[in-house]
This record gives sequence, C-alpha cells and structure tokens, in this order.
Amino acid sequence: MPAIEQLVWGILLLPLISAAGITLFGLRRPRLAGVLSVGAAAGVAVLSLLVFTGTPFGEWWECSAEWLSVGELNVPVALRFDPLSLTMGLIVAWVSFVIHVYSLGYMRGDRGFGRYFAGLSLFLFSMLLIVLAGNLLVLFIGWELVGVSSYLLIGFWYQRPAAADASKKAFLLNRLGDFGFLVGLLLVWSKTGTVDISELECKLALDPGLLGSLATAAGLLIFCGVLGKSAQFPLHVWLPDAMEGPTPVSALIHAATMVAAGVYLLCRVFFLLALPGSAALELIAWVGAFTALLAAVIATQQDDIKRILAYSTLSQLGYMVMAVGASSVSQPPVAAMYHLSTHACFKALLFLGAGSVICAVHHEQNIWRMGALGKKMPVTFVTFLIAALALAGVPPLSGFFSKESILASVLESNVAARHALFAVAVAVAALTGFYMTRLVAVTFFGPERTQIAGQARESGMILTIPLLILAVPSAFAGFWGIDSAYASQFKGAAVEHAGVFGRIAAAFTHSPVATLWGLGAAIVGIVTGLAVYWNAATDRLPEKLGLVAGWARNRFYFDELYAALNEATHEFLSRLADGVDRWVISGIMVRGVHGSIELAGRLLRLTQTGNIQIHAVLLGAGIAILLLIVLRH
Amino acid sequence: MSGFSAIGLELAVVVGALAILMIGVCVSSERRSFLSYVAALFVGLVLLSSFLVSWPEKQAFFEGTYLVDGLALFFKRLFLVAAGFVLVMASGSSRETAIGVEFPVLVLIALAGMMFAASAGGFILLFVALELVTVTFYVLVAFARNTRRSLEAGVKFLIIGAVTSAFLVLGMAFVYGATGTMNFDELRVAPIDVGNKQLFDIGLVLVFVGVGFKLAAVPSQIWAPDVYEGAPAPVGAFLASGSKAVGLVLIVRVMNSTMLQGETLWAVLLAVSAVASILYGALCAIPQKDLKRLLGYSSIVTAGYLLIGLASGSEAGIGASLYYMTAYTFAALAVFTVVSIVFGASEPAEIVGLAGLYKRSPLLAVALTLSMISLAGIPPLAGFFGKFLLVKSAVGSAGLKTGLVVLIGVMVVGILISIYYYFGVIRAVYWVAPSKDGKSIIVTRSERVALIMLMVGLVWLGLFPGRLIRASSGAVGSIAPSRQAIAEVVKHDGERR
Repeated sequence: MPAIEQLVWGILLLPLISAAGITLFGLRRPRLAGVLSVGAAAGVAVLSLLVFTGTPFGEWWECSAEWLSVGELNVPVALRFDPLSLTMGLIVAWVSFVIHVYSLGYMRGDRGFGRYFAGLSLFLFSMLLIVLAGNLLVLFIGWELVGVSSYLLIGFWYQRPAAADASKKAFLLNRLGDFGFLVGLLLVWSKTGTVDISELECKLALDPGLLGSLATAAGLLIFCGVLGKSAQFPLHVWLPDAMEGPTPVSALIHAATMVAAGVYLLCRVFFLLALPGSAALELIAWVGAFTALLAAVIATQQDDIKRILAYSTLSQLGYMVMAVGASSVSQPPVAAMYHLSTHACFKALLFLGAGSVICAVHHEQNIWRMGALGKKMPVTFVTFLIAALALAGVPPLSGFFSKESILASVLESNVAARHALFAVAVAVAALTGFYMTRLVAVTFFGPERTQIAGQARESGMILTIPLLILAVPSAFAGFWGIDSAYASQFKGAAVEHAGVFGRIAAAFTHSPVATLWGLGAAIVGIVTGLAVYWNAATDRLPEKLGLVAGWARNRFYFDELYAALNEATHEFLSRLADGVDRWVISGIMVRGVHGSIELAGRLLRLTQTGNIQIHAVLLGAGIAILLLIVLRH
Repeated sequence: MSGFSAIGLELAVVVGALAILMIGVCVSSERRSFLSYVAALFVGLVLLSSFLVSWPEKQAFFEGTYLVDGLALFFKRLFLVAAGFVLVMASGSSRETAIGVEFPVLVLIALAGMMFAASAGGFILLFVALELVTVTFYVLVAFARNTRRSLEAGVKFLIIGAVTSAFLVLGMAFVYGATGTMNFDELRVAPIDVGNKQLFDIGLVLVFVGVGFKLAAVPSQIWAPDVYEGAPAPVGAFLASGSKAVGLVLIVRVMNSTMLQGETLWAVLLAVSAVASILYGALCAIPQKDLKRLLGYSSIVTAGYLLIGLASGSEAGIGASLYYMTAYTFAALAVFTVVSIVFGASEPAEIVGLAGLYKRSPLLAVALTLSMISLAGIPPLAGFFGKFLLVKSAVGSAGLKTGLVVLIGVMVVGILISIYYYFGVIRAVYWVAPSKDGKSIIVTRSERVALIMLMVGLVWLGLFPGRLIRASSGAVGSIAPSRQAIAEVVKHDGERR
C-alpha cells in the first residue's frame, strides 16, 4: 500500500508542524494559530478516514522509518495499522477536529489563543503517536508527550493558583504511574528482548512461558501507567481537579481521548495481560469496578457541572477497565473498546454542552445557580439530553449498546466472583442514570434560581454546530458496527447484526439477563432522579441519606487523606534528605570533591607560568616521561 | 586521473590565494573587508566542486607521496568548511581591527597546506605540508600586531612549534633509519630487525609528539591556552578546527602504516596521552576566567577524546574520532564566532563580559548555549553523539582489556568536570545581570547566516547522525583494505621463510 504509506506520515506530521509553526510564528497572531491548528486537525481527520477506508477490513500492516542505526543498535519509528488502532485513530481524529472548531469560538479573545492551539496541536500529535505506535518505546514517548501537553493545557490559565496546582497535581500523579509503566517496559524488554508489539506478540504466542513468574508483575507494572493516565483508584484524584483547564480541553483530553488511552493500552498489550498464569486481569477488573462505583457515588453529590461530568468520566473509565479485566483470550476486550468509542463521542458532547452552558451563564459552574435553561438554549439542551440519555444507557442510543456489551461480557467472564462484579456494574448503571437525571433536571428544568440563569441565551453557531455534529454518533453509533471492527482485531468471532431493529433485538436475544438488568437499572436511576430533583430548589438528598451524602460530597476525603499522607512522608523525607544533604553530600562529597578538584586545577595551573623556557622544559620532560612509559611496555 | 587533476583542489586554493593577493593590492584599504567574503565564497565553490568530481577509491600519485582516498577527501572537505566559516568570521572582524588583505590569503595558504597534509603518502609530504601550515599560523597568531598579547602568543607558538618540529624530524630520521623508507605504503610491510626495534619505537613516539603539536595533545599541549587566548578569534577558530584536524589525520595515517610493527606501542602511547590530556585540560579549565583560554584547555581535553577513539584501534573507533572531530569543529567555530562578535577579534574574552548576553543578543546567546551544551556532550546535540560513539567503540573493543576501562572512566570524569565549566559560561549568559554599558549587539547578516548554519549543523548531526557516520566510516574503510592486503603479504612472507 504505497499510497497509504505516504499518507500516514502526514497524519503524524501535520499536527507536529502546526505545533512548531504556532510556537515559532503564531503566539502573537491568533488568526494564523487558529488556521494552522484547525487546518492540521482537519487534514488529520481526512487522512485518517482515507487510511481507514484504504485498509481492507480486518487486515493489518505496519510501516516504519529508521530513526538511527549504529551498528547493532537500531531504533525504528514503527507505526502499526490494525482494526484497533485504525478505529481508535479515526475517533481521536474526528472528535479532536470537532473540538478544535469549537475551541475557535470558546477561546475567542483569550490572550493565550496561540499558546492554546499550540498545546492542542502538540496533544493531537502525541495522542496519535500513542494510537499508531507499533513499538512500546514509541508508545511510551507519546504517552509522556500527552502528559506534557495535558499539563500545559490544564495550567493554561496559569495566573489562577487553582489551575497551576491542578496541572502540577496531574503531572505528578501521571509521572508516578508512568514510572511503573517504564519499569514494566524495561522488564518486558529484558525478558523478551523486544519492544516491538508484533514481535512481542509472536514471541509470547510461541512461548507463553517466556516471562515466567514475572508475567503478573509485568502486566501490573504496565497497568500502573493506566492507573495514572486513566485516573483509576488510587491515582484518580487528579482528574476532577484537571477541570480547571478550558472546557474544550476537558472535553478532548480529560474525557474523550487521553484518559481513554489507558484502556487502549490495556487492549494493545492484551496478549501480555492474558498470559496463562498471570493474575493481572482479575486485579484490573476489581480496580476498575471499585473506581466505577466510587466515582459514581461521588458524582451524585457534586454541584459543579464540570466536576459531575469529571466523576462520571472516572466512573465510565472504571467501567471500561473492568470490562478489560473481565475479558480473556476466548472473550477479547471488544466491549471495553466499544464503550470507549461511544463514550468518547457522548462525553465530549456533554462537556461541550456544559461549555456552552457555562458561556451562557457567564462562567458560573454551580448547577444550583442555573435552572430552566432548556427553553432558552434549545440546541444545547437537546444535544445534551441525547448525550445524557446515551450515557445512562437508554435504547436505541449508542451508550445502550456498548454498556449492554460490557454487562454481558462481565456476566460471561471467567473471573471467579463474576456475579459480584456484575452486581457492581448494575449498581453503577443505576447511579449513572441517577446523577445524569439530577444534572439535566437541575440545569435545564425547574425554576430559574438566579438572575444570570434568567438572562441566558443560546450560544453562537461556532459552538452549537460542533454539538450537532457530535450528537449524530452519540445517538446512532450503536448501528455502525464499531464492535465488529474491533472484534476483527482479536480472533474472537463477531456477531453480524443486520439492520436497526436487528441490532436492538440482538441486544436482548444475545444476553437477555445482562440487558434487562442494565435497562432496569437505568430506569430505576432515572425515575429516582426525577422523583428527587424534578422542580427541586435545593438538593434534598443530603437530609435523606445523611452521612453518606456528606462523604460523597467531600469525595470520601481522598484529597485530604492524600494531602496528610503526602505531608507526613514529605516531612520525613525532607528531614532525611536534609541530613543526607548537609552531612554526606554537601559536606563530604561536594565540598570534598569540589575542593580537591579545584585544588588540583589550581596546582596544575601553576605549570602555565607563561614563561617560555619553563614551557620548553615541561615539553621535554613530558616527552621523556612518555618515552619511558612506552618503552617499558 | 592524472597527478595534476588529483591535486586540483589544492591547486585551486593556491591560485585563489594568489588571485586575492593581487586583487587586494588594487583595492583601497577601506573596502578590503569584502576580500574575505570573496575568499569564503571561493572556498564554498571549491567545496562544491569536490562533490562533483568522481574521485578514485584509492590511488597514489607522484611516486606514492600523494594519496587520494576517502580519508583524505573527508578531511579536505572538513578543512574547506572550517576555512569558509573562519573567513566569514574574519570579514566581520576586519571592519574594526583592519585585518587587511593578507589575512584571507594566509588562511587560504594554510588551507592548502592542510589539504596537502591530508593526502600525505609519506613522511616527506607530511613534514612539508605540516610546516606550510605551521609557518602560516605563526604569522596568523601574531596578526594583531598592535596588541602585545597577540605578539606574545605568536612567539610562544613559534618557539614551541620549532621545538616539536625538531622532534618530528628526529623521529622521522629514526623511523627511516630503522626501516629504510619514508613512504607509508612501504613502511607497512617493511621488515625491522630486532636490533632496530627500539630505534623505531622511539622514532614513532617522537613523530607522535611532533604531530601531536597540531592536535594539542599531551605532551605537546603546553602552547594551547596561551595561543588560544592571545590569537585573534578567527585564528583561534582555525586552530581549533582545521589545524587540530590536521593533527588527527596525520596520526591516523602514521598509525595505520605502522600498526603491524607497533600495535602495542600505539595502544599504550595513545592511551597515556589521552588520559593525561583529558585530566590536564579538564582540571586546568576549572579556574579559568577568559573564554578563549578556556577553549584552549577544552581543546586539550578534546584531543584526549579523539585519541581514545584511535586507541581502541578499531575501524569504528577511528570513525568515532572523525565524527567527534566534525562535531567539535562546528561547536568551536560557533563559540569563536560569538566571541569575535561580542568581544572583537583580538580583545580578551572575559567570561564576565558575557553577562546578560541573552538580553543583548538572543541569537548569540542561543548559539553559545547550543555549542556549550554540545561541547559538554548533552543530548540531543552533535557532541553527545560523538562522545556516545567514542565510548561505544571503546566498549566494543575493550573486551577484558583493563586499559580501555580506565580510559572510559577517565573520559567520564572529564565529561563531568567539563559540564561544570561549560555551564559556568551558560550561567553568565542567562543568570548574571548585564553591566550598565551592555548595549545590544549588532550581528551582520553574513555572521547571522553562518551562526544559523552552525547551529543547524549541531542539532542536525545530533538528531540524524546516520549520514556523517556513514561518511566517516567510509573514510576509515578506504584505508582499511590495505590493512588486509598487508596481512596477506605478511602471511606470504612468513610462508616463504
């Protein structure tokens, strides 16, 4: 495929050129920055579609360029195109294109307009590098780069202390996870001698015992990276704070793409996690389930519109991680990727809708200061409602299908306590319905609680058109056969459902128990939500639930716990470091080494007297010594 | 290819020098600065033409005294590049210090000498070409004749140069006495009587001392700090780039032709000199306050690194030295260009004077920073990759030889110390407030172009080293087959006996 091979480098290069171009020339020229960045995103979207359609269904190919080659040391930049990366790439490209356009409107007039788009382009480049990497090392480079661009964009309004702190927190927690990932990578490298994904897969397929007893360790170390990037418990605390960034950034990076990269990585190296004798998957499933439940409970008691969505994202990511954990060789993680794809669309739409709302009410984010926005902002309301229903899992919207397939896969998995896992999943589904109903009911219905809510007006075209575009996949992606695209990646057979009704019917016939439970949970959640929050002036839940609601409101005190822990360790470490620094490093090593070297330098400098006779004598002496040494050998 | 077309590049440079001398006479003294530009352009043209001619893979001319091979060509191109940048630098300085018409002419003549030296097929051409270079440099170093420092540097260079030349001639005589030939190809296979072996060894050590003078390697390093400090900046740049490379290519040639009889001798000699050069240069550089003097010591350290590559004896090691030489050339040219712009060609270059440079001229600050980082060997710049290749070749050939392990250890120590003094310069550029009279600095267009080219070179070589690695290993490979041939000859010899 020579023509396509030319195209794929364009996918990576366009955003990179845009990022470099804006940094060099566009920081003070907003128009140029916008054109470059949106142009690059549009180019990537078109190219990814071309490459997607140009690759025959279910096939895969690779292309690589040599970065450097010295003797036996070869470092190629390998890209891999298989159904997994192609579909994921397509979603990343299109969602980011839409959000790029939205950003043009949302960020208009900001002083850092150019800087914003440079960051966005850098992010797009690094995210595509992760998705297309055919080599774990290249993937890791992209992994670190998305961390950097996420840091830059969370702290975009760096004048606000909250944003600066949030970006630092996100970066540090991500680094913590990445360290584990790097160790895992080195472990795999040292055991198998390769970081190339295809080669690794071949080697492990030929000899599943290659990693030996370290299989679990390797899997869990790589999972550490996922803990950080996908914000799973116990590293989940950075994601809600990351909402300090501009809303389109929250939509793109902290909802649709970057945080999903963890799930993508798990699927990418699934063959490694699913090695016989590895217990990694079971633990992964429980970490995911716990995160999903925890975040869903917290989400019910948040008041900031973006934080509700952030906890919802956490919860859904936990759902996907749980789905990966519940998979096995015979039942590959198609459901997780399916949900990732639909979630990317409707969660991006929710965030963009929230952005539109926030703009309309003059940057107020507390939902209890809004209300009755549905009539004033019809486009935002309808698209937001579609996305919310999709998230709650109402048929025939896209979220219903992907959630159903996750529930089915959990129920059919061979994890020991699969019924407990399934119960958690159903509970999370009910909670999802509940908190989304709360969000919609309080924001768009009920009384106008403040004056600004009364004056709100629909946002301009540049904000609403992206909403409309994203509403299409949010509603209909369930009928596009995304799951069969992913299924062709793994050798598991995909069920072909024909037609709209065929698909809906298949959801019920394929695994009726899971579907009915899921649907029932969603209905229970929505009905409860309506009962509590329809026309509510204040939140009535705390009085009914008491302590639990208080805990949920305070995010189960994780931030405080971490802060205290951090302070204690920090205090101890700093005392230790101070002692070491003062006595060992500064006293003995630095002063000692520095002093002796400095002394040697000054002594040697005495030889340079500037006196030519002495120079000549030194030269002669040097030759004599040299002759002596050489001739004695 | 006939003999005269083989020396075409050198002839062109000499003719160019004479032409510029004659044009210069006819031009009024105010307008002479353009002569340097003309010379720089001319050098560029010669460089270009060297790529257009199809050179024989390996051929000897003039009864074996003149060689055309990959190694010679590699170094000739390096000399041409260095001379081009030096001339651009001189054109900028000539406005203030009236460097005059002779300067570009002398640079071109030294260049011709260097190019002849790269092709030396025997000791005779080696000596003659080396003297042509050295004598020209006596004049160049003392060129700012109204300053005492420059004159003093010239005299020191002259005297130490004369002493080392004497040793060189003596060494050549000893080698000739032991083998009966001055020609490198014949030297390779020349039988040596047991009684003459010591004479031969002493001869090689003395030749090393004489050629090492150009390289600034211990024990003939003593001139470098004084001369670098006193000479005008463009001359310092040429000393650090072209003149140093002459030392390298000649040691490679001599070593290659005496490897069979003197393998252990070379290993010991080079290792001892490398260790001494690195430690001496790095330690002495610490307390320096003058940037040009600092570069003199850094040049000694660099000589040590270059010798490490040779000491490993492998093709990869020699290739690594060639690579590092190129990387060093770019960095040194950039630093000297900045020095000549900031301080003027023949003024002292106090590091304190760089304070707040990034506010006075961001371009100069960035160029200086990049070259310092490259010299310190920090990725992803060219200097890092050069050091990486040197260490790699040393490790690759080390096996269990403890000597090379010591070498690598010393090299690491040298790198660590060097980070300290290179970053002292960077600190002055960014973190020290400029003095009150620190006005912004005017950089002419040609200087700007030259600096940008040098910076691109530093980054490019660091990020995409493949092409230069191929070129340098090709250059080394072009002298390698003859080694194989000799091995066969020796084997036949043994069988006959």
